[in-house]
Amino acid sequence: MPQEQAPIGRVTRSSTRGFVGAVRLPEPEIPVFGSFCRAEAQRGQSAVIGLIYNISIEDDAFARQVATAEGITPEQLADTRFNRQVPVEFSALAVGFRLADGYRYTLPPQPPLTMAAIHPLLPGEIRGFSERPEWIPLVLGAPEIPADDLLAAALRLAAAARAEAERAPFLLSTGRECARLLSHDLTRLDNLLRMLVV
Amino acid sequence: MSLDFPALLPQVDGLGRSAAERAAELGARLPHAFQALGAAARVPREELGRLLARAGSRWPGAFPSAEPIDGVFACPPHPERLNIFAADGSQVYPDRHGLTLFYLINIGSIHIAHGSGDPPEVSSTPRLLYEESDLYGEDEGLMPSALIDGQRDAAELAELAHRSEARPEGPSLAILDNGLLLWLALQMKDSHRPEVTRILGDYLEQLGRLKSAGTAVAGFVDRPRNANVLALLHLASLSPDEVNEDSLHVKPWRGLTDRAIFARLLRPGERSARFEHASPVNERFRAAGHAVEFFYLCCGEDQIARIEVPAWVGADPALMAIVHSGIIQQCRTPGGFPYALVRAHELAVVSSEDRQALEEMLAEALLRHGLPAQPSQKSLTKQWTGARRRHRL
Repeated sequence: MPQEQAPIGRVTRSSTRGFVGAVRLPEPEIPVFGSFCRAEAQRGQSAVIGLIYNISIEDDAFARQVATAEGITPEQLADTRFNRQVPVEFSALAVGFRLADGYRYTLPPQPPLTMAAIHPLLPGEIRGFSERPEWIPLVLGAPEIPADDLLAAALRLAAAARAEAERAPFLLSTGRECARLLSHDLTRLDNLLRMLVV
Repeated sequence: MSLDFPALLPQVDGLGRSAAERAAELGARLPHAFQALGAAARVPREELGRLLARAGSRWPGAFPSAEPIDGVFACPPHPERLNIFAADGSQVYPDRHGLTLFYLINIGSIHIAHGSGDPPEVSSTPRLLYEESDLYGEDEGLMPSALIDGQRDAAELAELAHRSEARPEGPSLAILDNGLLLWLALQMKDSHRPEVTRILGDYLEQLGRLKSAGTAVAGFVDRPRNANVLALLHLASLSPDEVNEDSLHVKPWRGLTDRAIFARLLRPGERSARFEHASPVNERFRAAGHAVEFFYLCCGEDQIARIEVPAWVGADPALMAIVHSGIIQQCRTPGGFPYALVRAHELAVVSSEDRQALEEMLAEALLRHGLPAQPSQKSLTKQWTGARRRHRL
């Protein structure tokens, strides 16, 4: 079992297709777009693997008042940023799940429950999960999210989790898989491949 | 929806009309009251002293300080480093229809180290009170809400004293979201005397701790409705022979407030002269060395607050400068109300969601110990009908 990292947040709502987590800013790291995460489900029997596709910072009337006020002091600025319970909310798309004997590349049988801890995937876990490309169709087929940008960001992060010498072969093979899946939509494929090499 | 809005409409309109008429009438009297302020300032202090002596201890006015009654004081420079402490409290009163008898006091507080650039230190400290000695007073009746409010006020002050005693670097200002006088003593009159005495003693002890820590203490009263200075203006218009109970009962400025007068006198950043509360409650404070004084402060365009300070702050120009400049600086961001108090309130408030979560925790604890966790039937029926679908107009 890989070493456990501190959670980046907790599930506030979820469905089979994904989950939403909330985190306060002082938490160790704000999650980044396209990063892999997991949340425990089925009483620990499985862990849903998610790709973070939307990060939003909530506000309230006081935050708006402070933002537009003249003469805000550095202490008030720090207070508003670090102390006030204004959460960062992030949404993750379910792209598979992990059982005791390995990864599955379909939607999970059950979503994680409210308050389940959300952990970032460690580099070894990212390598293990992305070793096979079957999760890619779940991203490309996801409605109402920036699927191509998300896939490109996730693939770049998955490549970065590998040794230098393995990165180009990994991107080449996953690029081929994308070409196969998007053979009917060359404009979209072209756009995706351009994002991969940036 | 239970409220019959069509029936209310003409009454609401009547309210608006009446308020407009009253505002016009008060506006017409305001210049006379303003002139009376100037006239009172010209009354020799010896004569004013004789008038005040004749007014008696029940006169609800204000004793002038050594400062001119119509004095205006510009905002002094703000210190580079200043520790600002603010505390506020909220409470859940005992409910005999609830799951069990208890009450809760929650104190929110903040320490802003102005000039450090560091995020402030914040805290929220709840206290659940449920023992028989907490719940019942000397008369064996359930603790009245006024006594719980008094305990909350003392706990706010204790939190400020605790933070001040850490003696962080630089001068310190402690702010409360209310006046400094504990009105509990007047509200409760002769009932619950032991509890009132204990709370008042605790409160005065906390003021003593703040004084020992060298912290400037101030109570901030937003939109004050007091008329103590107006009572002084009326008194100053009388000759000593005219001062009697009947003449003091005449209220030539009825409906006007001190705030209206000082809104005309003060520009943003400026403060009025200091006055001392003529309330009988202040006698207890005076005896303990904490007589409460007040002044009016223009915290922003058309924003007049009443600031209450202990006499030892009023008498110390350095502490007064901290109170004056510190509050003005704090009022800049939220536009006329101290930032530190906004945050202390936010940290203290017990929301309806918090209350619900607390009730759930209590129910679990009762069940775990083999007790029923059921509100009264009356409370249950209110929950049922409270969930009725409501239709908007």
